[in-house]
Amino acid sequence: MMAIRELKVCLLGDTGVGKSSIVCRFVQDHFDHNISPTIGASFMTKTVPCGNELHKFLIWDTAGQERFHSLAPMYYRGSAAAVIVYDITKQDSFHTLKKWVKELKEHGPENIVMAIAGNKCDLSDLREVPMKDAKEYAESIGAIVVETSAKNAINIEELFQGISRQIPPLDSHENGNNGAIKLGKQTTQTTRRCC
Amino acid sequence: MEDRFIIGSAKERAVSSPQRDLGNAQLNPSREEPRKKLCGYLNKLGVKGPIKAWKSRWFFYDENKCHLLYCRTAQDVNPLGSIDLSSAGFDCKVDADEGVFEIRTPSRVFILKAFSKQAMMYWLQQLQMKRWAFCNTQTGLPVDSVTAAALPANESLLNETIHTEGEGFLPPVKTPTDVVGLKAASLPAPQLSDALQNISLKHPWTEIQNTIYNICGTRQHPGNGRSISGAECPGTFSSLPFVACIPAWHREIIVQQPCQLLKETGFSGPAATSFRAGAVLPVVVCCDDHSMSPQELVKLLHKALEAAQQEKRASSMYLTAAEDRDRLELVRHKVRQIVELSSRVEALETDKQELEQSVALRDRRVEELQEHVQLLMDKNQAKQQVILKLTEQIAQDLSEPVQEADAVAADTLYKQQEEIEHLKDDLDAYRTQNQFLNSEIHQVTKLWRSVAEKEKVLLMKCARLQARSCQVESKYLMMLRRLQEASPDLARGEAELVKSLIQEALQWDAKEEAVEALQLNPVREYDDYGFMTIPKYEAEDWKLLAKIQALEIKSNNLLSHTAVEKPLGERWAGMAELSPSAELKGLIRCGIPVEHRQRVWKWIVTRRLSHHHAANHYESLLRQCERTEHPASRQIELDLPRTLTNNRHFTSPTSQLVPKLRRVLLAFSWQNPAIGYCQGLNRLAAIALLVLEEEESAFWCLVHIVENLMPADYYSNTLIASQVDQRVFKDFLSEKLPRLTAHFEQHRIDVSLITFNWFLVAFVDSLVSDILLRVWDAFLYEGTKVIFRYALAIFKYNEEEILQIHDSLEVYQYLRFFTHMIGDGRKLMSIAFNDMNPFPMKVLQNRRATHREELEAELSELERIKAQYVKEQAEQVAWHLDGAVSEEEEEM
Repeated sequence: MMAIRELKVCLLGDTGVGKSSIVCRFVQDHFDHNISPTIGASFMTKTVPCGNELHKFLIWDTAGQERFHSLAPMYYRGSAAAVIVYDITKQDSFHTLKKWVKELKEHGPENIVMAIAGNKCDLSDLREVPMKDAKEYAESIGAIVVETSAKNAINIEELFQGISRQIPPLDSHENGNNGAIKLGKQTTQTTRRCC
Repeated sequence: MEDRFIIGSAKERAVSSPQRDLGNAQLNPSREEPRKKLCGYLNKLGVKGPIKAWKSRWFFYDENKCHLLYCRTAQDVNPLGSIDLSSAGFDCKVDADEGVFEIRTPSRVFILKAFSKQAMMYWLQQLQMKRWAFCNTQTGLPVDSVTAAALPANESLLNETIHTEGEGFLPPVKTPTDVVGLKAASLPAPQLSDALQNISLKHPWTEIQNTIYNICGTRQHPGNGRSISGAECPGTFSSLPFVACIPAWHREIIVQQPCQLLKETGFSGPAATSFRAGAVLPVVVCCDDHSMSPQELVKLLHKALEAAQQEKRASSMYLTAAEDRDRLELVRHKVRQIVELSSRVEALETDKQELEQSVALRDRRVEELQEHVQLLMDKNQAKQQVILKLTEQIAQDLSEPVQEADAVAADTLYKQQEEIEHLKDDLDAYRTQNQFLNSEIHQVTKLWRSVAEKEKVLLMKCARLQARSCQVESKYLMMLRRLQEASPDLARGEAELVKSLIQEALQWDAKEEAVEALQLNPVREYDDYGFMTIPKYEAEDWKLLAKIQALEIKSNNLLSHTAVEKPLGERWAGMAELSPSAELKGLIRCGIPVEHRQRVWKWIVTRRLSHHHAANHYESLLRQCERTEHPASRQIELDLPRTLTNNRHFTSPTSQLVPKLRRVLLAFSWQNPAIGYCQGLNRLAAIALLVLEEEESAFWCLVHIVENLMPADYYSNTLIASQVDQRVFKDFLSEKLPRLTAHFEQHRIDVSLITFNWFLVAFVDSLVSDILLRVWDAFLYEGTKVIFRYALAIFKYNEEEILQIHDSLEVYQYLRFFTHMIGDGRKLMSIAFNDMNPFPMKVLQNRRATHREELEAELSELERIKAQYVKEQAEQVAWHLDGAVSEEEEEM
């Protein structure tokens, strides 16, 4: 029998970049041009096999407007991973992304897996953020980066697979279900050791 | 007669005054008599003077003289005048004003007015009686030859018959006590017009006397009145036994004649001595005849004596003349005088002739006028004849058609009759047919009604059955899903079976949907406000759930429509004018019917915002939007196409509501720059637009929600008040639903992750439109308490189900959509407003205050930690730079 691991994932990013659309594509394999803006947050789950484990993603999709940022800690608290989304056609959204990364580094769970998603890659004609910039930035913070299109179902599965891969496997039985948190503690220990 | 009575020289007044005194003296004892006296206030029409006006007068009847006397007020002593009733006739004109009647004496017509018709009748009757009584008694007394001749022989008889006849015609009128009789005297004169108007200008002297008398206030001593009028007048006059029984006019004549005679003698010069001397005797005789007053006689005789003496002196002068010449002279003088006189006589004669001529002229003229009158009368007669002729003609004309009908030939008549018979038959036939058809219609309607009712019941049954089957179906599908999830653990054969079953179920569903469209016509795709009744979900299980939901709502609506909503609708229809009351609150809580919602929302919004509802405020905000772009406009633009995506009014590309929504939100961003735009406001404004339709009303509705209903800082930068409300809500939840709270705590579930947006957008997109609008009805009227009540009610509604889920993930998953699954709005409403009682506003406010304090403290603490972290980080970076080499070494 395969082990099921519950992984809390939150989606962050500027308003209107397509966070909900990514979730919708990933969970329901469906795209809607006009998904209602998320107020507060919305919650969805999807189970994905990964190696000899089943990863059950508990996805918290947050609101993008800046004034909802004050609520974000509720959602990224205890998250194993964060998907930070920007819109490749909007330079502003990339700036917002950097802010989110900074906040996660400051207040987020330690060793949270960060994945940067450059959404709306189907609109490359209107591109404002070069792929190179995103790649360089992602490397600098040690995050996964991928350009996606929720509309055309490009790289959505890959995005979450990448996250799955980044989650360290359960090293022993004693860790139980809360692997993500335990893992976080472990990594903290290692960093402290190196200090 | 009246004129003679009052006006005249002082001498005459001196003569007349004893009479009045006499009258008064007789009036006095009679006042003490129990018998009713005829007196009272009447209005008299003034005849003389420039203005004819009604004057209020006190009228009283003098029994002895049969005179009706009148004065200004009842207290006045001297009457202004009198009316002789013995020879008077009474009349009341039909076309005159109410209470107006006339007393016609030979010399004058008095027009009087009583205060009512009854009073008038009383007066007239009384006057008739008085006149009759007087005339009856009069006959027994010696009468003046002239009067006797004037009176018809059978006068008394006639009077009697008239009187009895009069009695027969008119029943005796009851005495109108308030205007007639002695009591009325104590009352003020009823006419309220200017007192000056009542003053008789004609009798200034009497007026003055009366005034003075009234001032003195004593009837026994009428002061100046007596000293002036009765000075020369010995008391013996009134004590003469016969005077009292002489009728008034006799006495007047008696007094009159000598006076006139005296006047004449006064005017004629001494030249007429011889003639005058001869006249003395007749005067004396006359005086004797008329039993003149001794004093007057003395005076007259004195005058005659004087004239005789003068004549005697002249004669003696003639006799004593010394010579013939002197005598001649005297004679000549006389002759000259005679000539003079004869010439005077001639002049007078010519005068007389002239006067005669003018009289003749007048006569001719009178004749002419009479002729004219005759002519007019003739004309009148001719006209009357013409009228008569015409009337006859009309009568003839009216009867002519009959004659014409008679003239119609007999055969055609026969034909027509036949036709009429036919028509009658037809008519009968039609009538019976009509009756039958009426009964038919009645029967068919009854049948139709029963069938319709049956159909309704069947439809309801059908809806319920379908809902049930859908529920079963969804449960089955859920089972399949679970099995699928567990498929790795299942045996190969079983796993394949599950797979095929899922495939089958999905296909079956698609097939069923096609059939369903035929079966369930009543389930419309969109509701009254354009919301999709069955939301389009991609996931199969949700699709089914949505369908169940729609069917449940429908069956609920069907069940509640006849039982609850009809009487409610009637109560709403009766509420034309809205005013805050407990009844209205209750009605609003039950949900406003669609046809009244717009009106009531408008009323609620304008009522609460009237104080700063400046005209053109919205337009000026729009102008400001055009001038300068608000930083929020980008976000607004981004959200516009994503608003109420399940409503056709917002999703259609040609929608008029989207541009309206844009303007409302932009205007609001200037109306409240502290908020600008917050995601979620778009949904509030959209709902307002759907219901109110008008852009400006929707704007004010949004203002009402944000500025009146929600606490401050609900939508501002940190959303602090919203966060506070989440904590307050958790408090209420633990208080009202302790079991559920324990359950959540056990599974470490933070409900605020779910409920946050309920509060921020007042359940828009969470509840089914039908229930949502009902919640909004109460929310707009009562405020945020309604949101708390409903949020609690939603948990209560599903409490049992939630308690059965023991996995935190599943609880979250359940909570995500469970609001959409509520179908019974009435049950939810009853929970919200009955089961959640008591819900005092004070508790809510207190909790808000304490939680806000806490949250603010926490936030500032967080800020402090943040600042510390930043500081530490900076230090760490500095250290890191130093220790970079060593780290590398370690890795190596």
